Amino acid sequence: MPNLLLLIHVPLAFALLCLGLPFSWLRLASLAAGAVVHLGVVAWTWWVPSVGGTGAYLGLDPLGHLFLTLISVLFAATSVYFVGYHQKRLVSQRVFLACVLVLLAALSLVCLSRQIGLLWVAMEAASLAATPLIYFRLGPRALEATWKFVLMNSVGIALALLGIFCIAVSAGASEGGAVSLTVSDLIAGAARLDPVWLRAGFLLALVGFGTKMGLAPLHSWKPDAYGEAPPPVAALLAGGMTLGAFTGILRVYQICNAAGLAAFAGFWLMVFGLLSLAVAAVFIVGHNDYRRILAYTSVEHMGIMAVGIGLGASGSYATMLHALHNTLNKGVLFFLAGFVWRTYHSTRIRDVAGMLHRFPAAGVVLLAGLCATCALPPFGMFFSELGVLLAAAEQSRWWVVGVFTFTLAVVFVGVMTAMLPMVFGDPPVAAAGEAVGPRWRRTAMLAPAGVLALLALALGTYQPRAVTEALAAAAACVSAPGASERVAVQDPVEVLP
Amino acid sequence: MNTQMIVDSVLVLVILLDLAMLAVSRLATCIRLFALQSLLLALLPLAATTGRGEIPGLHEITVAAGALGLKVILLPRILLRIIRTGEIHQEIEPFIGFTASVLVGAGLVIGSFAVTRGLPLPVDRISDFLPPVSAATILVGLLILISRVKAVTQVVGFLVMENGIYLFGLLLLEQTPLLVELGILLDLFVGVFIMAIVVYHIRREFDHMDTHLLDTLKEA
Repeated sequence: MPNLLLLIHVPLAFALLCLGLPFSWLRLASLAAGAVVHLGVVAWTWWVPSVGGTGAYLGLDPLGHLFLTLISVLFAATSVYFVGYHQKRLVSQRVFLACVLVLLAALSLVCLSRQIGLLWVAMEAASLAATPLIYFRLGPRALEATWKFVLMNSVGIALALLGIFCIAVSAGASEGGAVSLTVSDLIAGAARLDPVWLRAGFLLALVGFGTKMGLAPLHSWKPDAYGEAPPPVAALLAGGMTLGAFTGILRVYQICNAAGLAAFAGFWLMVFGLLSLAVAAVFIVGHNDYRRILAYTSVEHMGIMAVGIGLGASGSYATMLHALHNTLNKGVLFFLAGFVWRTYHSTRIRDVAGMLHRFPAAGVVLLAGLCATCALPPFGMFFSELGVLLAAAEQSRWWVVGVFTFTLAVVFVGVMTAMLPMVFGDPPVAAAGEAVGPRWRRTAMLAPAGVLALLALALGTYQPRAVTEALAAAAACVSAPGASERVAVQDPVEVLP
Repeated sequence: MNTQMIVDSVLVLVILLDLAMLAVSRLATCIRLFALQSLLLALLPLAATTGRGEIPGLHEITVAAGALGLKVILLPRILLRIIRTGEIHQEIEPFIGFTASVLVGAGLVIGSFAVTRGLPLPVDRISDFLPPVSAATILVGLLILISRVKAVTQVVGFLVMENGIYLFGLLLLEQTPLLVELGILLDLFVGVFIMAIVVYHIRREFDHMDTHLLDTLKEA
């Protein structure tokens, strides 16, 4: 039985190695090793069915397990990618690589924590570790993006803390003495929670973690940060950190659900979700910067996940499926964005047209990523978005169906008209400034993107039974009524080493 | 004068400091006022427990010492140092003028008292003033954050807001585990430290700390 603390200690140990090792290639190897060993430990937790927890603080429930696995896969792919992406002139590679691994450790802790205070601490640690990563390119533009990121996220996370305090006050109503802030205890005693304070707590936590997740109208840092950070970092933020923030929202939603406030919580999730979809649709159309377009597709996908959870039990399976494919897809697209950036040194779409001519392999993977992000059928997002739509129709929420379909159509047209020329268009005549770099570099960048794209395609066409079960368990964990949920959650916690 | 009265008057002082921070234009004064507010807040849990005739436990002492070391000594020193080396002392042309922002701040204080009066407060509290003062401090912090131009003042705004949340957290002092609170303090420290580094870079990059120059990134 693996010790869950390994998931946090392993990346931290390799982060220390990154700080200490004398040669650049050794440090890159240490990054890759840290991420791959982490993935190995995660695989181990799936292999051994009963998973050990450490007291009331750490434990793996199906939801945390699923998200942990997604984050780990993304980090492993990114660490390989980074070997190809890395260039000598990066300023302090030690700090950068160490921060990537600290981010992995913090996000693992978010997925593992069974106590919402601890979850908050881990989430804040994750965003602090991400800040130096965004500022990595230096210069005024990166600085502006970093300042916006730090300030908005700090305010957001402070509001989330206030929300957690409100939940603690609502629990204090019944118990008087010490309040346990573990998710399972709060769910068990949900009927006795004070509803006024719980509502206030949910809204504050939704706004706070929603800022980190990038739900509109709190998304304004997102295009800047994703546009200015190195693309592999943007992939980690869009595919990994958003999942961590979403975990925060889901934990609070679980408590509200058990306390009978699912309708209230669902309504606000849908409001924020649909608003995000609308904002993404408005800003994607007519854009000329491919990385900012990708950032807005991230806003869109976060919106879809919020709407899916807001629809309750019938939408939550689709949400988990969407989370899975979102992580794979954001990895593919931002890896490709990094490849394009390294090759053409431009973020404008018209400078980088005609990838299929110049780099056929990259062109094909980019096309696959675009089709996946626009939810074309062989890819999994088609099924997840269809699932959300069906759930909305099943509950006769026609305004949700209407806004959802319309905005997705606009996003589809916007992304495809803007980005298809990158694949098919005529290559620019003055193809100056191209520094293709050695072949192994290109391979190291394209291989992880290709693997993630193939994985997405394979899971879209044939989804193994184990994957379906894991997704369904995570979905049940979020939206099942209190009683059955409690058993599912407490089991792993009580099996102590 | 019993302890209840002391605690209540400390909370009134906290509100007055909120308004004072809205009124001053010298950055150094603003930071010192924040340090004074933090000092009052750090001593509050100790005063409350001794007032009840108990000896402060390890938990109260650790939290008070952490807040004291961090928000009264360390963070103000870092911020003052940035100002001193940058030779920038005044907040110039805020988005909302000083008089206007004091009036808005007073409105926020009245609003906080009006709103929190209606809320049922289930837990034991050290003073009836705690929820409204905490809400007012959070709102004033947000006001400073959005209405000021200098990056350093925005950081102070964030810290004032955090003071308000800390005050609200005092409601739950006995109920939250020490580990989590230490984590919160640590995160706060690292967060402000990173902000200070970013402010330093902003100054080096643009030769001053005005954030209104940070507006190149927007939709074309």
